[in-house]
Amino acid sequence: MRSQYIWSIIFFFPLLLFQTTILPIIAIKGIVPDLIVILLVFYSMRLGQLTGTVLGFVYGFFFDVITGSLLGTTMLSLTIAGFVAGYFSNENKRDLYFNNYTFVLIVAICSIINSGFNSFFASIDLNTNIMKLLLNQGILPSLYTALVSVLVVVFYPKRSFD
Amino acid sequence: MLRFFSDVWKNFKEYIVLVVLLVISLIVLTSNQKPAAKKISSVFFGTFANFSSVVSDALDITKYKIENAGLQKRNTELMLEVSRLRQYGIENSELKDLLGIKDTTKYPLTPASVVSKSLSGAQGTFTIDVGKSDSVKPGMPVINEFGLIGIVYSTSSSFAIVRTLKDIDLSITVKDERSRVDGIMKWNGSNLVIINVPKTYDIEPGDRIITSELSSIIAMPLPVGIVTGLNKVETGIFNEVTVKPFVNFAKAQQVFVIKVVESKEKDNLELNFFNRK
Repeated sequence: MRSQYIWSIIFFFPLLLFQTTILPIIAIKGIVPDLIVILLVFYSMRLGQLTGTVLGFVYGFFFDVITGSLLGTTMLSLTIAGFVAGYFSNENKRDLYFNNYTFVLIVAICSIINSGFNSFFASIDLNTNIMKLLLNQGILPSLYTALVSVLVVVFYPKRSFD
Repeated sequence: MLRFFSDVWKNFKEYIVLVVLLVISLIVLTSNQKPAAKKISSVFFGTFANFSSVVSDALDITKYKIENAGLQKRNTELMLEVSRLRQYGIENSELKDLLGIKDTTKYPLTPASVVSKSLSGAQGTFTIDVGKSDSVKPGMPVINEFGLIGIVYSTSSSFAIVRTLKDIDLSITVKDERSRVDGIMKWNGSNLVIINVPKTYDIEPGDRIITSELSSIIAMPLPVGIVTGLNKVETGIFNEVTVKPFVNFAKAQQVFVIKVVESKEKDNLELNFFNRK
């Protein structure tokens, strides 16, 4: 179990490398799937709500300092996304969630929350139409992220690896 | 008392941790302009960019072969255009000499490769493989063959972070090349828009938008995009002009940093966003 905590941090860096170097190639109209959210949801569901919340905060911090985003925005949005994903951390249903498309739905929800909060805090401006902003920046990237998360369901081992 | 706190922690620890982390995030959010925050960021992105540049280089090798054929054709077309422009240049230089106008057309360019991109909806940033050791400084414009990409925001010794036009925090003074009307252009989350344009101003779809000499960040004419529409605001006296950028940000790979930072004298007179505290 303890090794999972370490892996959850170790996996983040190669995934961020992939996210920022290779993924922009498959961008559709500038929208790329958010692999960090998928990783966060995966580990929040496996390790529990408390760990998910802290993990979201740590991922957000590294994401902000490495990509040059406004420091604090991704920290805040991923912390909330990790907290929400943690609600689905049920030991008895965990494998069931990973083996059917419930996982995809949870990723979509967390991705909307992450993009929504991120765009809101990154662009606090009285002239901006918040609803339009959330629609453009929340829904479309989340759908793309959810679509990519299908891969987790497909490749997740049918028997638990705990 | 201790038992009370123990019970509260036991029952509400997830919520307590959430609130504490959110408060820390908000505090960090308000400390963005502090030098310490910038220093931490430059250390992290500088280290990570070393790995990104290895992956990026590997990807580029395969990409270059495909691009080469297209570039040769473009090169030929540009050669013909240069030949024509050279003629105009000679005439222009002669006429400027006659009028005594100072020549401001030569800009020092530093080539760079994009090693990583962060394309979130609100904050578009690139990491490029030139930094302080190449005399790149915050505030320098970054372009490619199509037009303006963004502004250098932060630098480490060998890398720099560029805030692209698709970043909500970047506002630039631009002008309509045809009618010479100036305005402030920014990314609203889904489109590049020139905001608060009086309805009486002469801006039409199809007009080319370039950077304005009034800008305290980029006071040279760089192509930005083309007007695609006027969002007619029913009330008030202002319109919003939608601009489609010339640059495809998802595909931009080879860029140039223009090694020009506006003069300190001008910086002190105007409020550009690098001075904002």
